[in-house]
Amino acid sequence: MSVTQLSDPVLANLSAPVAVARPRKRRRDGRWAAVLIFPNLAMFTIFIVVPVLGGLYLSFTTWDITNGFPRWVGLANYRQMFHDPLVWQASETTLKFIGMGMLPTVILSLWLAMLINFKFRGISVVRSLYLIPAAMSFAASAVVWRYIFLDGPGYGVLDYVISKFGVTPPDWLASTTWALPALDMIAIWLSLPIATILYLAALQRIPDSVIEASTLDGAGPLRRVRYIIWPGVRYMTPLVAIVSLLSFTNGSFDLVNILTKGDPINSTQTLIYYIYFESFGLGMWGYAAALSILQVAIVAGILVVLRGVSSLVNRW
Amino acid sequence: MVITARTTRRIRILIALIIGLVMSAPLLYMLAGSLMSNSQLSIQPPQVIPSSLHFGNYPAAFSGMTQVIQVRSFVNSVVFTAGAVGLQWALCISGGLVIAKMHFRSRGLITVLFAISLFIPLLTTLIPTFVVTYKLGLINTYPGLILPIAAQTGFGSLLFRQYIKQLPEELFDAARLDGANWWLMLRRLVIPLARPATAAYLAISVLTAWNMYLWPLVAAEGGSLQVLTQTLATVGSSAQGEVTPQNVIFASVVIVTLPMILVFLAVQPAFIRGLAGSGVE
Repeated sequence: MSVTQLSDPVLANLSAPVAVARPRKRRRDGRWAAVLIFPNLAMFTIFIVVPVLGGLYLSFTTWDITNGFPRWVGLANYRQMFHDPLVWQASETTLKFIGMGMLPTVILSLWLAMLINFKFRGISVVRSLYLIPAAMSFAASAVVWRYIFLDGPGYGVLDYVISKFGVTPPDWLASTTWALPALDMIAIWLSLPIATILYLAALQRIPDSVIEASTLDGAGPLRRVRYIIWPGVRYMTPLVAIVSLLSFTNGSFDLVNILTKGDPINSTQTLIYYIYFESFGLGMWGYAAALSILQVAIVAGILVVLRGVSSLVNRW
Repeated sequence: MVITARTTRRIRILIALIIGLVMSAPLLYMLAGSLMSNSQLSIQPPQVIPSSLHFGNYPAAFSGMTQVIQVRSFVNSVVFTAGAVGLQWALCISGGLVIAKMHFRSRGLITVLFAISLFIPLLTTLIPTFVVTYKLGLINTYPGLILPIAAQTGFGSLLFRQYIKQLPEELFDAARLDGANWWLMLRRLVIPLARPATAAYLAISVLTAWNMYLWPLVAAEGGSLQVLTQTLATVGSSAQGEVTPQNVIFASVVIVTLPMILVFLAVQPAFIRGLAGSGVE
């Protein structure tokens, strides 16, 4: 099953409702429909359609929004983008951030969902332990994790735990190597609950008897996962991937802005953060608009790749 | 060695519990830390259960030298969340009804538009959305804070569409025979019957709005419209962090997060239904 079909039952069903819901005498609700959907569409147009089209236009201009009108510069912004080493670096950082985050999220969430997919007294309390982080904002998490990551002897909790295993902990947020993975850890932690809920919903549709039967047949845990669990839940994987993708894209700004400001040496500067800096920081609104188009292209590119991967995975 | 089914069961429960504690460890650490003195917080090995409780961190987060949370920010967060979610709900349930049950030409087009918008989060259109809001003169006003978020109607409209579509057509036929128009059907029929969908919708959007950071950051640059996520971000970024003691910061994070944890625990089933429902089919 493809990404779009799954994520969007709407697209898949588009032709269906017309055929199914046809009344005996064909009814036309045009006027009432217009009245009832007008406020919705008006807002949607002003704050989504206009910005999307306007953003495209702005990307061909140079403009300081506080004065005058946008000046048409053709492809200049895109040319500048192509020669801007920071754009290349920020795109790479964005891809790394998303890549390093999504795979563990998908795998771990399936594992967690399996862990809490059985019934005993108190299961709802145990499940809550897994799901509660979903209530926390990226901003609040950033604050707490800043203290978890604290460097130096006798400070951060994480460093204490790691050094117990005889490993020298890295300088998390101050290290060009570790800052991005550290931000990823926070984003993974925050993305897991929703991904787990989705997989849990899929798991609960596999009848207990099927799983029990496979146990009685002597199937080991690995074979059980491969032949019973995975075929039952893989249809959910594209949705899990998409939801995590959006969570990683959205969350990256909050984490970077609060914890690292793109440092050390731009190693955590994601594209979103660079866009924010160029516009609100430097007043380069046309350039920032062009960068936003690049951002949309990157997300679209990832969706296309996911689509390919998911069709491969579903055959497996 | 014989491992009975009972023992495996116990082991599974134990593993589930331990991993659950690991998953919620940062939250538990925050909660424990908010009740410790700063010397307790810096002890090695770290205390897991506070040896003595310091509830004073909570009032300290609201007042005095260590004040983190302004009452005004709390009010702003409540107004923003209630305004954005309330308005969006009204837009979405009526929009959902229109694309679920009404017959008119551009229905398919509108539905597709909503679906596409799911993949264009506000983040990617931040620049032009800010420009539009700025040109409307709404920056640093409640409408500027609320309207662009309330306008993100794609997800909600589709969620209500899914639910309303499965309501039996006969109900609407009967209402029509009684002379009800669509407005009455929306109020008397759809809103009461779609209560489960509303619960799922509210669960997800209240959390999203309360936790939103980027839009309030740019839409309320002045400060008097600052919401709680910005408050936390200010103490969380390193420069300020050294000024306010860690235990008070933790207490502040708990104060900001606790309402949402309570909401989440209260609506967890609805939340799960809402999310899971979007994946089924």
